Amino acid sequence: MEALIEWARGPAFIFSLTFMVLGLARHLLLTLWESARVIRRAGDRDIPYKQVFQATAKWLFPLDKLRHEVVFSVTSVVFHAAILVVPVLLAGHIKLLAATLGFSWPALPGVAADALTIVAVVTAIAIVIQRGTARATRQLSRIQDYLLPLIVALPFASGFLVMHPTWSPVSFELMLFVHVMSANLVLVLMPLTKLSHAVMLPSVQLVSELGWRWPVDSGSAVGVALGKESDPV
Amino acid sequence: MSTAPRTYSYYVEDRTRETTDRPAKFLEAFAAVLEHSSYALPLDIFSRLSTKCSRCAVTCQLYEVTGEERDIPCKRSELLLAVYRRYFTYGGNLRARLGGSFELTDEYIDLMGENYYRCTACRRCKASCPVGIDHGLITHLARYLLSEVDVIPKALVVSTREQLEGIGNTSAIPPNALVSTCEFLEEEFEDDYNVQIKLPVDVEGAEFVFFPAVSDYLLEPDTLMGNAAVMAVTGGSWTIGTGNYDGINYGLFYSDRMMERIIKKEVAEVRRLKGEKVLIGECGHATRSAWFGPTFCGSDAPPAINFLQYTHAQLMKGNIPLLDKKIEERVTYHDPCNLARSGRITEEPREILKAICADFVEMTPNRTENYCCGGGGGLVSIDEIRSFRTTLMGKRKADQIRATGAQIVVSPCANCKKQLAEVCEDNDLGDVQIVGLHDLLLKVIDFGPYRAKLAAEQECPLSNLGSTEEPD
Repeated sequence: MEALIEWARGPAFIFSLTFMVLGLARHLLLTLWESARVIRRAGDRDIPYKQVFQATAKWLFPLDKLRHEVVFSVTSVVFHAAILVVPVLLAGHIKLLAATLGFSWPALPGVAADALTIVAVVTAIAIVIQRGTARATRQLSRIQDYLLPLIVALPFASGFLVMHPTWSPVSFELMLFVHVMSANLVLVLMPLTKLSHAVMLPSVQLVSELGWRWPVDSGSAVGVALGKESDPV
Repeated sequence: MSTAPRTYSYYVEDRTRETTDRPAKFLEAFAAVLEHSSYALPLDIFSRLSTKCSRCAVTCQLYEVTGEERDIPCKRSELLLAVYRRYFTYGGNLRARLGGSFELTDEYIDLMGENYYRCTACRRCKASCPVGIDHGLITHLARYLLSEVDVIPKALVVSTREQLEGIGNTSAIPPNALVSTCEFLEEEFEDDYNVQIKLPVDVEGAEFVFFPAVSDYLLEPDTLMGNAAVMAVTGGSWTIGTGNYDGINYGLFYSDRMMERIIKKEVAEVRRLKGEKVLIGECGHATRSAWFGPTFCGSDAPPAINFLQYTHAQLMKGNIPLLDKKIEERVTYHDPCNLARSGRITEEPREILKAICADFVEMTPNRTENYCCGGGGGLVSIDEIRSFRTTLMGKRKADQIRATGAQIVVSPCANCKKQLAEVCEDNDLGDVQIVGLHDLLLKVIDFGPYRAKLAAEQECPLSNLGSTEEPD
């Protein structure tokens, strides 16, 4: 078991982390590259950057968006806050990383970390339940939309049981293995699924604006490409 | 061979049923459009990030009323994103090789043809999408691609053909009829207001070349007279060109290729008359499409402004004298999506209305969050879907108007006005009057100072030599 845990924490983790970083970096660089190309080719480069920036900022900190769909919105925002804060500010993680990185940062008190971990798990389950019970979300949802919040919750639930082994139904070692491997799974899924919004979100308002910025003569260029330039209307 | 019945809620031309091999042609057009425009970037990001959270559903005025799955903006966009993913991404290609089941068929094209015309492309849902997906952009693109396989509502294509290959405008008004209409309106000014006001035609070197929705010449004399009155009292330099006097651009609703041709026709008329700027009348989509001038023609395209912007600036400078009386009825304002959604024109009309109305009330929500009239995206021109437009798409708008208790709804848009009138008729709001903004303004302009100026010029004609308002 110990060898398995070492493998999960060592090569498997390094692979997952590298996969995530490279995958997300690829998305990000391609988006930046393509955005620059669109702007370069655009007939109208007068882009309302201020408005784009404001919209982006509003959705990164969506406090004034909570008034619509209150329950769903609040659940979602709390879920996001919890899963962002806990892994980064957990004392155990900081200690592990400090050994490799050579520096550390302040950790959350144990009680707060426990509470936020429970919040992350509960809100993840609540999101899935709401998805299944609200008409519009049910009509929209794919299988992955139900599975992803649960997969993301897995390292949190298992992490909590690692910290509190007396409540764990299985051995500490097995739970630790589940914890590390489920976290690895989330990392691998990041660039492959909609979870990539964790990194790509700040680009979308700009991308939505750039979609309307076509090159000069773009309509007639399509006509020529299709051999329809002299077709009647 | 196709088995799809190719029937839609709207009328189509025969060629819609005659086109063969549509899936291949659709994909060929898709590839060409991706190469020559800028849709690839948003498609790539949208198809990756769409989280299916349904916030768009609860802000869509159609879904709020129908509750139908196909009316969720995100679901509708997914129709096109699925095609993009399958045929234009590595992952989609790979999945297809491994036996993925999705394939673009004739039936699927018809499904898109129906669903993308159940959206007014009002873009209200964009503001409620946490990710920032512009479903209006997807509707716009999907219709463009559908048009390349001849799926286009007959009403839109017939008007566009008349504009580009027929008489030259969507209402088929010949130039001599336009000139007589202008003369008729000048007589109306003398009869009703006892004032001489010209609607200048083909004046070279004017600052503004005027393009209203051409239907205004048939249906909205008061709006046009309001426009002309503002120009007269402010001494504005403007002209109507007999080469092109139609601001309508249905290309915005179904084809970037047509949109470009119509915009270029507008720009050509401004250049022919050696004018400086495009001046769009009271029409939302005409304004938004004119703003695409630099997109299609480059940065030296003449700038486009909406008449509201001109009137507002002049009113604020104190150049439009007003009578002591105000409009007494309760007035509310409907924001045309194409002016207000992006926040470009929201305050100007309100400041004008507050200056001339005794009882101005807002409908809620308003400005960038306003509900579409229900006839946007060209739907208003499709008469055969009236009950869909007024009872499903326009239901929220009717509720909004009713809640204000207003007797007059002002909307500076030819499309919105036609749709709102029908919404009111079909929703038991028959007493509500739908008018343009300049129609109201016309009622309270004080022509006294203008008459005095004209009289002084007639006594001393030399002072008139510098005017650009006389035709060559």
